[in-house]
Amino acid sequence: MTDLVPILAAAVPALPLAGMLLALLARTPRQADILALAVGLPSAASALALAIAALARGGAPALRGHWYLLDGASGVLLAVIAVVGLGSVAVSPAYLRASGRSWTTAARSRSLYYAALFLFWAALLAVPIVGNLAVAWLIIEATTAASALLVAFSGRRDALEAGWKYLVLTTLGLSVALLGIIVLAISQANAGHHDLHALDWHALRLAAHALPKDSTLVAFVLLLAGLATKIGWAPVHNWLPDAHSEAPAPVSALLSAALLPSVLLIAWRVKAILAPSVGDATTHAVFIAFGLASILVAVPFLWRSLPWKRLLAYSSLEHMGVIGLGIGFGTPLAIAGVVLHVAGHALAKSLGFYAALPLLRIDPEAANRAPDGVLSDSRSTATAMGISLLALSGLPPSPLFLSELLILLGGVAAGDVLVSVIALIALALGFLGLLHAFVEGVVGERKRHHRRAHSRAERPILALTAILGGGLLALAPAGLLLPGSAFVATLARGAL
Amino acid sequence: MSGEIVDAMLGLGLAVIVVRRRSVAIALLGAQSLVLGIGALSIAGGGSGSSLVASFVLLSKAIVLPLLIYALIRRTREPGLVLAAASPLVRLAAAGAVMLCAVVFVPPLGLGSAHIEHAAVALVLLGIAIVVARRPILFQLLGLIVAENGLSLLAASVPGGLSYVIELGALFDLGLVVTVAAAFAHRIHSELGTGDTELLRGLRD
Repeated sequence: MTDLVPILAAAVPALPLAGMLLALLARTPRQADILALAVGLPSAASALALAIAALARGGAPALRGHWYLLDGASGVLLAVIAVVGLGSVAVSPAYLRASGRSWTTAARSRSLYYAALFLFWAALLAVPIVGNLAVAWLIIEATTAASALLVAFSGRRDALEAGWKYLVLTTLGLSVALLGIIVLAISQANAGHHDLHALDWHALRLAAHALPKDSTLVAFVLLLAGLATKIGWAPVHNWLPDAHSEAPAPVSALLSAALLPSVLLIAWRVKAILAPSVGDATTHAVFIAFGLASILVAVPFLWRSLPWKRLLAYSSLEHMGVIGLGIGFGTPLAIAGVVLHVAGHALAKSLGFYAALPLLRIDPEAANRAPDGVLSDSRSTATAMGISLLALSGLPPSPLFLSELLILLGGVAAGDVLVSVIALIALALGFLGLLHAFVEGVVGERKRHHRRAHSRAERPILALTAILGGGLLALAPAGLLLPGSAFVATLARGAL
Repeated sequence: MSGEIVDAMLGLGLAVIVVRRRSVAIALLGAQSLVLGIGALSIAGGGSGSSLVASFVLLSKAIVLPLLIYALIRRTREPGLVLAAASPLVRLAAAGAVMLCAVVFVPPLGLGSAHIEHAAVALVLLGIAIVVARRPILFQLLGLIVAENGLSLLAASVPGGLSYVIELGALFDLGLVVTVAAAFAHRIHSELGTGDTELLRGLRD
């Protein structure tokens, strides 16, 4: 399998890029749908194969090629992005059939939608495997342009506002991160390392002890502050609720379940390589500050009566906070929780966004108001929404219950008892907020007129609920194997 | 890079936050990018291949981006003056204060030239200030590029230059972002009849 890694690493971003070009050649909407699925399946399969190759290595050191780096974290992210990407491609025809308008002509809109979606997917798949900090930055910046177009795809005023805000804020944030990268490049150049490979993860890791402490600290803070904008961490999260709620549902799923954790992986790697220079205490404090702030900012919004996708967006803020906290604690228990949380959040959140498609068909007002009594109109949609909400809230047997428990215990093991207690209280309040949304929105009384759901139209969401719900159920017992494993021990050491 | 070139870049950047007319702001930005390109070329003379590539990247950026943005304003004529949230003098004072922060708070970055280090960070902050202080969508786009010029100033001054892969990649990304931003500006103008971002404030919780 290891022999195939270089080929797979090249194929993983190349296949969706080919999909982008093919989408532009499609002449009819049906042709575009078929082409998208035809390219989406091998794209996801190759990414999953590479993920298996990474995960099968267990606690072995990362595999490094000329341009790629494959470790356990790459494996987890690749699997997540492959599954969510394929899901988004599969549900896109349903979104496009129902979408009333876009900002281009009807004939071109579907081709452009798929072209942007595949470009976005290709960039996302490249982020976890690229072996160089500067190149990772270039790819993340490329995701901004493609995904901003997708956020504003409907061309409505609110979507344009959300897309513009996302484009400007994340571009500015990434400029700050690039400033940090250039500061690191200066340090490396002063040490005689001038070429591109001076910014390889491995090269930086080896050089970390020799990097000047003050300027490396500046670089670390700039990088984290800049990446935080793209991760959507509080207090630089303003774009997140707007973009997630205004984007087409398949794109929202990719933004929340794949983009945010992918950028978080880069932040995690920055922590791993620079900690020897700036000190564990500093990196620890920065991650915990961003993580805790995000949870505390998100929880009050989980109590409010919000439109479905907006509620899910604030839940993303909360969960990125939880993952940030886990990385900040950095103990093996917390890292086991982080791995499980990334996977569980991706499955639960994408199911929630996919459920928005049938939800908006039966209750178009749910785009602007909180849903109510969905169960009385569509059992399938209500089941998908319910599984998503309850899993995200952390209700057992959700894998997120176990992952949050592991992260908080990891915090206690790290000596951060107060932070763990504050996070526990905030997460409990968030749990109650989502439970309230479940009772009111899904199983509660219907307050306004809804359209009846047709059984045929419900089949796709039923299939997705079975697949993603089954995945969630399987993750919880699998998560029990993580604590104490060599896989987690290697990740916790930050070996690159 | 000489102190005069760095000062000229700062002055031109400050002028972008003050001027009213979009075409003047584009000309100022073009001039700033050109000064940066010439400065980078002066460092690259006899230097590494990477520095030469960087200089040509910056010079081409100085020509292509202003032309692209100028084409955009020809297609999005404003029906009237977009009222500024603050007077030019207030904007200038605020920008000056932001840039002063760069001088006071930025520690040595290892370049050996505090002037270039401070100016680069000041330009990034100035770009952010332009985005915050200017309501017309085009000025926000110009703010992004001013910040990018600050980064390019620092990158061009890295001993031996940054790798040309990074320079070309950053140019490609900037081109992509500017193209998408221009598409947004055109669409927003068609939807609202103006490029005033103050009207894009419907999303609230």
